[in-house]
Amino acid sequence: MIDTLKNSFTRLRRSSFFAGFVLFIIALVLNAALQGPASFFSVKSINTLFAKNAAFILVAIGQSLLLIAGTMDVSCGIQLALVNVVTIMTHQVWGIPFGLSCLLGIGAAVLASIAVWVCCSVFRLPALLASYAMTYVIRGVNVMIMSVPQGKVPKEWYMAYDSQLFGLIPVSFFAILGVLLICRFARKTPFGSHIYAVGGNPRNAFAAGISPVKVQLKAFLLKGVIVGIAGLCLTLMIAAGNPLQAEDYGIRSLSACILGGLGFGGWGSVASAVFGSGFFVLIQNSVYYFFSLLVRLIPGFSVSSYWQNFVSDVIIFLGLLMTIVTAKGRQEVLREGIVRQFKRIDYRKSPKESEGKEVTTHE
Amino acid sequence: MFELRGVDKRFDAVVALNNASLSVEPGEVHALLGSNGSGKSTMIKILAGLVNPNAGEILIDGNPVEIRNGYDSRKLGIATAFQDLSLIPTMSVRDNILLGNEPRNALGFVDQKTSDEIINRLLERFQIDCDPDDYVQTLMPSTQTMLEVAKAVALKPRLLLLDEVTAALHYDEIQVLFSVMRELKEEGIAMVYVTHRMNEVFEVCDRTTIMRSGESVITGPMDDFSLDDIVYYMTGQRPDKSKKDVVHIHSDEGREIVLDVKNLSIFPKVHDISLRAHKGEIVGIGGLQGQGQPELIRAILGAIRYEEGEIIYDGEPSTLKSPSKAVKNGMGFISGERNREAIFPARTVLENILAGKVAKGKTFAYMPAKANRAFAQRAVDKYNIVIGSLNHPASSLSGGNQQKLVVARWIAMQPKLLLLDDPTRGVDIHSRLEIHEILKACANEGMTILISSSESEELLSLCDVIYVFYEGCVSAQLTGENKTPEKLVAAMMGMSEDQEIVSTMEAKA
Repeated sequence: MIDTLKNSFTRLRRSSFFAGFVLFIIALVLNAALQGPASFFSVKSINTLFAKNAAFILVAIGQSLLLIAGTMDVSCGIQLALVNVVTIMTHQVWGIPFGLSCLLGIGAAVLASIAVWVCCSVFRLPALLASYAMTYVIRGVNVMIMSVPQGKVPKEWYMAYDSQLFGLIPVSFFAILGVLLICRFARKTPFGSHIYAVGGNPRNAFAAGISPVKVQLKAFLLKGVIVGIAGLCLTLMIAAGNPLQAEDYGIRSLSACILGGLGFGGWGSVASAVFGSGFFVLIQNSVYYFFSLLVRLIPGFSVSSYWQNFVSDVIIFLGLLMTIVTAKGRQEVLREGIVRQFKRIDYRKSPKESEGKEVTTHE
Repeated sequence: MFELRGVDKRFDAVVALNNASLSVEPGEVHALLGSNGSGKSTMIKILAGLVNPNAGEILIDGNPVEIRNGYDSRKLGIATAFQDLSLIPTMSVRDNILLGNEPRNALGFVDQKTSDEIINRLLERFQIDCDPDDYVQTLMPSTQTMLEVAKAVALKPRLLLLDEVTAALHYDEIQVLFSVMRELKEEGIAMVYVTHRMNEVFEVCDRTTIMRSGESVITGPMDDFSLDDIVYYMTGQRPDKSKKDVVHIHSDEGREIVLDVKNLSIFPKVHDISLRAHKGEIVGIGGLQGQGQPELIRAILGAIRYEEGEIIYDGEPSTLKSPSKAVKNGMGFISGERNREAIFPARTVLENILAGKVAKGKTFAYMPAKANRAFAQRAVDKYNIVIGSLNHPASSLSGGNQQKLVVARWIAMQPKLLLLDDPTRGVDIHSRLEIHEILKACANEGMTILISSSESEELLSLCDVIYVFYEGCVSAQLTGENKTPEKLVAAMMGMSEDQEIVSTMEAKA
């Protein structure tokens, strides 16, 4: 029993998402302490946390797939707004059922993903620059579809999103769970290992008969669907349309993935994205409660929300620095392992050299 | 039967293959031989689908086929073990072996049970000692190479291409590989085997095709060739030991030691290397590729860190932390990798020659244009560099002249110690001899020269002392009468103390 626990801990410690996991736990404890455990673990508080942040966590999961495949998309954020405006406007202008509008919204995200794929994988433009440029293209499209914030979501839809199943589990949690299950299944298919091969070394993947462009297309398609679902979560959460929102989700999801332990290409897993984005969310939450604690403790204390953002961003920056330290630590472990193997071989080699001499005379 | 007919491949102006042919029968091991740059690897890459030929055809069982990418190649039953490995370091052993060939169950998922069986059987057959869940990057280089071969064999190919796989392998691993190859031969699998180790060729190969500068010169059964014949077809000339030009006289007595390297170790290639260079001496470093020669030279220059040992330069322990400090202390460095480490192709000849002088001078020192031109013109005249004008870009020169340009750049600086890493790689024979003359003249004037080379001829004709590297250690130090081609080759194979390998080769010859 103890042994299996020990083993699973060793496995966890060696996994790529360990750094993200530790950060996540720290943020969780911090948040619970500042908010008060009773309040934090209440059904209402958990529900709000998931409902508000499901979109961000989903975008990070989508981004992680691209990072594993050796590419990225910083226009993910504005794609959420695209899903938002397409869903709202098709429902409002064409009068089609809202469910159908939701599907069209997901379709729009998939199309945007394909556009980014064409730039990054087919034309081989640097992914960071190309997808950054796409941010402005998509923003233009958004404004063409919806010039000013407007529209609304049918009441039963956003009420359903904000409710809990069995009076306990938030509906938004199921959106995340569903996407994670899809990723889990995808990992078990050949695609699940091809994506790592393409991210790790495209030339060698090509030599193994894998087409890097096709594998990246699949990754972009999957990411498109995930961003589509994330966009719906956002739409149901704010229950209105806004063509210029969530733009910073793109770059933030990228840093959440790196925080969670993903590397650029072929290293890490979707779990990294979950823990990394979880850390992001909880830190922002903690800082909010920290400042409200200060306001209560110190009479006359008041700060703008800019200060809150500043403090949480500094903490996230420190977290990013920490991942560099852990990455270095991992390199050290790797290096020590190699040195050990070398020593073992040297030790084994000395008696074998005499054997070698005898055999060379066989001619 | 697999056949390549009249294949041409050009990379811009460089002709890699020129009307080359190859035919391999089922159940034979076919040796593809040739010196560096003769087009062996390009042939392999064409069959593997990494390079598309400009002309020529590929026939399988008499039917013309087209190989456009790795997938086509695999479909046709061709599997390749690459010299520079096609493993993905950040993936596990299991995922690497199955990559692109995953057994699937009815639902389209990877079949865990079948894949476990495949992996275990394969690891056992190749006697690879590792956990299937280990990341490839944590394995020894030799284990990785065995894995690369295992991965190719796992595809159950009809034609197996092995491109210099034994270069990184230990003796016992090579024996395992050979026994697997013999089994595959029994199964009727055709194999193409590329290597530089001649004793292996005689051990396992049935037929051979020898290549020289992109052309296939001759094909025939292995038994028809002696070692001398092979060397003849590879180089186009019988070994000639008669002529000598500039004589470089050298004696140890009373000479000061310029460079003294003691028990140097650089992770992971260099284990324990000691060598010594006196003033006015030409010291050669020989060995097969990848035995730690470039690492040693770059460590002396301060470009890479070393773990253990000591480098004493000019009587004092060297504490050089960067090449710029080394150059200020009187070292010069000429690399064989012109494009990556020496030439600025888009800049002018003038600027290329001045690059060394600039590196040594003060950052904001004023450089009169007239003096610069005179300096460059002198170098061009002295070393016979064929240029259009000092203002033409360096890329307008031929390869040999580019290399002379680099040599001129450093010699004009009069360094105390000149380090050369395979300086004549890809340089035509005429320019090569000119560079040799220049080096000998410099040594006579008291410059110390440390030269690493992959060409035995070059070392034998140029050097006073040859240190031969094998697996990161010095396997022989050849001077005076010991400087013979046989001893050099034997030492390169790591057989310095025992001479069996030499006698086997002589027996064959």
